[in-house]
Amino acid sequence: MSTKPIERPFDAEDPGYRAPLILGGNTFATVTEKVCGIVEKPKPPRAWYIAFAVSLSLTMVLFAMIAYLFFRGVGVWGLQVPVGWAFDITNFVFWVGIGHAGTLISAILFLFRQKWRTSINRFAEAMTIFAVICAGIFPAIHVGRVWFAWFLFPLPNQNLIWPNFRSPLLWDVFAVSTYMLVSTMFWFMGMIPDLATLRDRATGRIRQVIYGILALGWRGSNRQWHRYEVAYLLLAALATPLVLSVHSVVSFDFAVSQVPGWHTTIFPPYFVAGAIFSGFAMVMTLMIPSRQFFGLKEIITMRHLENMAKIILATGSMVGLAYATEFFIAWYSGNPYEMFTFLNRAMGPYAWAYWIMVSCNVLVPQLFWLKRARTSIPILMIISILVNVGMWFERYVIIVTSLSRDYLPSAWGYFKPTAVDLLTFAGSFGLFFTLFLLFVRFLPMVAMAEVKTVMRQEGPEPWQQKGPGDYRGDIPQLHDAKVIERETK
Amino acid sequence: MPPVDPTPASPPTYWRSLEERADSPEFREMVEREFPGEVWESLPPATRRGFLKVMGASLALAGLAGCRWPKEEIVSFSRPAGYTPGVPLRYATSIDRSGVGRGLLVVSYDGRPIKVEGNPKHPGSLGAADAIDQASILDLYDPDRSRYPISREAGTRRAQSWEDFERFVSGRLATARTRRGAGLAILTEATSSPSVADLRRRLAESAPEARWFEYEPLTQDNERIGASIAFGKPMRPLYHLKEAAIIVCLDADPLGADPSAIPHARDFAEGRRSADQGSMSRLHVIESGFSITGSMADNRHAILSREIPAVAAQIALGILGAEASSLALAAGPEPRRFVAAIVEELLAHRGRSLILAGPGQPPEVHALVHRLNEALGNFGHTVELALAPDPERPTHRDAILSLAAAIDAGAIETLVILGGNPAYDAPADLDFAGLLPKVPVSIHLSLHENETSKLTTWHLPRAHDLEAWGDTRASDGTIGVAQPLIEPLYGGRSPIEILSILVDSRPLDGHAIVRRTHGIDGDDSEAAWRRILHEGVMSGTAFPLEMAAMRPAEILARFASLGPPAGDPGGLELVFRRDAKVHDGRFANNGWLQEMPDPLTKITWDNAAILAPSTARELGLQADDRVRLSYNGREVDAAVYVLPGHAAGSVTLNLGYGRTAAGRVGNDAGFDFYRLRGSEALHFASGLSIRKIGGKHAFACTQNHHTIDAIGLRGMERRLGELFREADLAEYKAHPEFAKHRIHDPGSHQLYPPHDYSEGPQWGMAIDLNSCTGCGACVVACVAENNVPVVGRDQIRRGREMHWLRIDRYFRGGEEAPQIAHQPVACVQCENAPCEQVCPVSATVHTREGLNAMAYNRCVGTRYCSNNCPYKVRRFNWFNFHKETSETEKMGMNPEVTVRGRGVMEKCTYCVQRIEAVKIVSKNEGRRIRDGEITPACAQTCPTQAIVFGDLSDPESRVSKLHGHARAYGLLEEINTRPRTQYLAKVRNPIPGAGSPIPADGLEEHHG
Repeated sequence: MSTKPIERPFDAEDPGYRAPLILGGNTFATVTEKVCGIVEKPKPPRAWYIAFAVSLSLTMVLFAMIAYLFFRGVGVWGLQVPVGWAFDITNFVFWVGIGHAGTLISAILFLFRQKWRTSINRFAEAMTIFAVICAGIFPAIHVGRVWFAWFLFPLPNQNLIWPNFRSPLLWDVFAVSTYMLVSTMFWFMGMIPDLATLRDRATGRIRQVIYGILALGWRGSNRQWHRYEVAYLLLAALATPLVLSVHSVVSFDFAVSQVPGWHTTIFPPYFVAGAIFSGFAMVMTLMIPSRQFFGLKEIITMRHLENMAKIILATGSMVGLAYATEFFIAWYSGNPYEMFTFLNRAMGPYAWAYWIMVSCNVLVPQLFWLKRARTSIPILMIISILVNVGMWFERYVIIVTSLSRDYLPSAWGYFKPTAVDLLTFAGSFGLFFTLFLLFVRFLPMVAMAEVKTVMRQEGPEPWQQKGPGDYRGDIPQLHDAKVIERETK
Repeated sequence: MPPVDPTPASPPTYWRSLEERADSPEFREMVEREFPGEVWESLPPATRRGFLKVMGASLALAGLAGCRWPKEEIVSFSRPAGYTPGVPLRYATSIDRSGVGRGLLVVSYDGRPIKVEGNPKHPGSLGAADAIDQASILDLYDPDRSRYPISREAGTRRAQSWEDFERFVSGRLATARTRRGAGLAILTEATSSPSVADLRRRLAESAPEARWFEYEPLTQDNERIGASIAFGKPMRPLYHLKEAAIIVCLDADPLGADPSAIPHARDFAEGRRSADQGSMSRLHVIESGFSITGSMADNRHAILSREIPAVAAQIALGILGAEASSLALAAGPEPRRFVAAIVEELLAHRGRSLILAGPGQPPEVHALVHRLNEALGNFGHTVELALAPDPERPTHRDAILSLAAAIDAGAIETLVILGGNPAYDAPADLDFAGLLPKVPVSIHLSLHENETSKLTTWHLPRAHDLEAWGDTRASDGTIGVAQPLIEPLYGGRSPIEILSILVDSRPLDGHAIVRRTHGIDGDDSEAAWRRILHEGVMSGTAFPLEMAAMRPAEILARFASLGPPAGDPGGLELVFRRDAKVHDGRFANNGWLQEMPDPLTKITWDNAAILAPSTARELGLQADDRVRLSYNGREVDAAVYVLPGHAAGSVTLNLGYGRTAAGRVGNDAGFDFYRLRGSEALHFASGLSIRKIGGKHAFACTQNHHTIDAIGLRGMERRLGELFREADLAEYKAHPEFAKHRIHDPGSHQLYPPHDYSEGPQWGMAIDLNSCTGCGACVVACVAENNVPVVGRDQIRRGREMHWLRIDRYFRGGEEAPQIAHQPVACVQCENAPCEQVCPVSATVHTREGLNAMAYNRCVGTRYCSNNCPYKVRRFNWFNFHKETSETEKMGMNPEVTVRGRGVMEKCTYCVQRIEAVKIVSKNEGRRIRDGEITPACAQTCPTQAIVFGDLSDPESRVSKLHGHARAYGLLEEINTRPRTQYLAKVRNPIPGAGSPIPADGLEEHHG
């Protein structure tokens, strides 16, 4: 038996050579120190202040726009007949889509024992919740009479008037609110041990009380851990179908209608793939600067980013396949209205939006076939942003181009957004980032307790090389050192 | 209305304050003016200052407005017999437009007129009313109408009372009378009123030196002179399109611009419906612009207006043969190819053909047309003659010229202008606006303080036609009586009342004047008078028909000497046309009309320089380009609209826009082409040049008008054959059910169980595309009936028009000679309605009678229903569109129809309020609803009766039979919406063998 170290390619996922998930010789103590340190530091980095100022201002813009909308009416947007939905529902679907990554990472990857998820799941879940909050705003404010929006809920009343259970919009109400509820629960529950850590480390009275309340009396006993693990598993099982169902239901808004370009059976899987695609892109967009600014490169490693890039590549290709399938089916169906809708998408007045969508969603992610692209921070950052742009346009293309030219040419129109449309959309980003910045400032952004479960607990020094016969847990690899070297350059 | 007490407002019985009781002049003025200060005159839309002003005014109003209505004269507290509050009553009346009486029935609720319909007993109406007639309700309640007499002296404008005016004028008249009326002149708009004629006669007796002028910018004078050439006296031709198998229109628009368009359209539709019996009329139209008649043509040729006389000559050569040889020169060297076919058709249908010339064509063409109709034996069959009234009247053009000359010569000291707006619409070369201040005393009676009023020394508020007593004569001479539906809202008076001040020693009120005119003022005349008021018309008063002797030699001689049209023949041709919405401009302040899409261009709130695609290309112009039009030293800036099917080299300019003192609605809408129109050429001329001045004008169109992208155009053309189904007569005869085979029905499966329609009546509608002329009367009827808001130009640009009923207009075939498809589309009340399924709150639901009902109170406004509506007929209240509806306009709203607030979806209901009203009556009477008893507003007013409504569960109802008709089809029925409105396919009747300009339907595309 030879003990000579064997050279292996970077991405060898060989059970004998499982790469470590946490780098840099971190111990439990250093992880706690690093993650809690962000929250406990008296002052966040200057970048945080700048970012917070910008996003808070944008949030103000959002609320100002909403106030104006409520005061004047939906006409302040560029909507019209035939385009009765545009930015409002585009933004809704966009944000809901983004909200898919969190639960996918937390729940589905958890069930599939993808342990690399632990470094990023807290982060992604928080992002999910904030995205769903942003998403929830739009259906609520897009109605003509907001003061009667509660008609959408099945509230018992003496007139026995119920909502219309045949309407996909009502299904939406249930799907999104359920999703919001479950993902918030899942997020909060997963955070309890870490909140207890923060409580225990707190020096001021206020922090002690607040984190103490949030920690719900966590003491870290075996019994608590046992309950915690079971509950986490159950919630994960509960959340998993939701990942698929929410966006399927959102897609029903379109698929159940008769508008050519909406009325398509491919929508549920297509929408889910797109949601995961955009969600991962958004996680990446947020994660790259965060790990940079808060010194978390050893916990959120290049390997995490690379894995996410692979998922983006996979889902981006699925989305591309869906685009192609739509065209094929439109032709294959022989339905002239359907055929026209798709030709019009690609070559009509909204062709610019369509080609932005195709380039950002299908062509650009193909770069991720290259390892250099998957491991280059600037490329990852740019592509993740482009994917988000592309996915926003995907919803815009689906909603607006289909509506703008449906059956009767006499009723065709062209939607042009107003300043209020644009500012409301920009403001929703403000809200999203404001919430996110508050989260990274006050809550543990990495699931410390979970990360510790994937760390080496005993064994040889991390830099010591072992052969296949010497496998015992996690084996560091040479290339990791190289990557770190390259990255720190 | 229980005839309104005709006496003018008696002194107030109640007093509002001690000042009023003291009757101080200050308070009087304030009450007269109602809205003190200049608030309403100077209100700009939605500025901060404007807002504050309105707030201030509203506070002031809160105190006053409460006392304004109802007045005891209008709604009697002692209920008259037969009158139930809340039950609408209909009153017959008539109004005059450009010298032709229009018979109306006005629906009145508790003393408030709310809707205008046609009087079935009136020959000019036959129960239908056109868009302008119907919109007169909005004019009545226009808050911009002037409210008190105004005097202007040395630039200061002062509010006066009627007493002030009467005092002033009596002094003035006394002087005039002593001089036998010398220096006194009266300028009226064209009027058919026998009372005006009577007063004029009386004036001539008491003041023989007084001069009388009648001016109208859009006039039928060429027809009059043409008849004078042909017959030696101005005969008025009366056409019977029903009898004509071949109709040839030379620049004529008998179905659109003609004063008798309604009876013409009714007749024409009958000649088209007979396609079901195997034969139908054939309409040939030769014109420059695209008229409504042109859009109905089977065979249309777009040529310059100035070339139409030559075409007339060519037809004459073909029909009259050697007799017309003197016309060879006028006919030009090379006859047009289409003329031979037309001549052949005409000769084959002697006595059953009809040639019409348009009002813009020179009198000689009219005369020749008379000769041709005579040669074809059409007199007595398709055309009859009656002696026109007032045969001695000079033409409107000559009248305004001589008035201008008299003013210039200083011969006019007192000028009384009754209606009209000469400062705006007189020929540009007269500079009437410049002349008017030269008259020492000028008095202008008009609804608004308009361009002319601002140049006169006195402005008097005019009573609206629905507020005043009066009388009119229809085209055929039938006298109609006008009775007031409401006390004058703003204290206006009618022209005859003003004339009475001039004529009668003791001025009479309108009621007395009309009765005196018709000799129904004796003690025993009350019953007869009441009967006339009830009918609205005096039967047997039509002009006697007579066949005057024709002067063929005179006609041909005059025609042969017809000179070329005015202007430099090198430039473009410009053609002035009446506008389908604002007429000559007098209706510019009417929001319903401004917002009604033009039948052809679909422009709202504007007019345009309309030209052909080829001309635009030649001139390097594109749609919406801003241009400067120069002609004969005059210039106007306008914008270009490119209309397929327009004659190349010609530019159509619709008159009536670009008003500066119309009111808040009409100001700054469109371009004033009167500034190009001189007395040398009132109708068309050559020598127009167009220069691009940079920039684009944002037209507010309800239908795409841009040169649409290639993909869109192809998509549109492909589906048109399914949406608008049509066939040639030959195909229809061979395949009567052609409409049913225009699509491939993939079968219908339904996700949810269908509704139960087994009980009660089942409402349905049928729209005959073969009769619809696209005139737009139904659109305005729907607006008036259903309280549809006016949203304004900017909202229409954004695609937010609120019309429940729209008329889709499509072009088929090449851009040079397209065919037009007019298709009225409102909610088709799908039995399997896509909107109902997606509404999350069940705000749109189905009734057992098959209506797709909207519960406004339940609607939250997700707009999902509209997105899912394949017909896109749902309309959303993007804002509170009724926010700016004035208090007066609110009086004109239909109390039976909910006024929708902001954020609510709305759409056609099949006029459910009318259905319910009849259901209540029939239930009380314990009987079934009779067929035809319920008529939605659109169907009621359709001049061609293209829309039929009724109960589908009754197999004998008209609508059931139409649904079973061979030509019936459902729009988009292949997506299984199961619409309750069915369309009857159009049948065209092109010249056999000429070949249809339309390629065969895109049928093969989607079969199988």
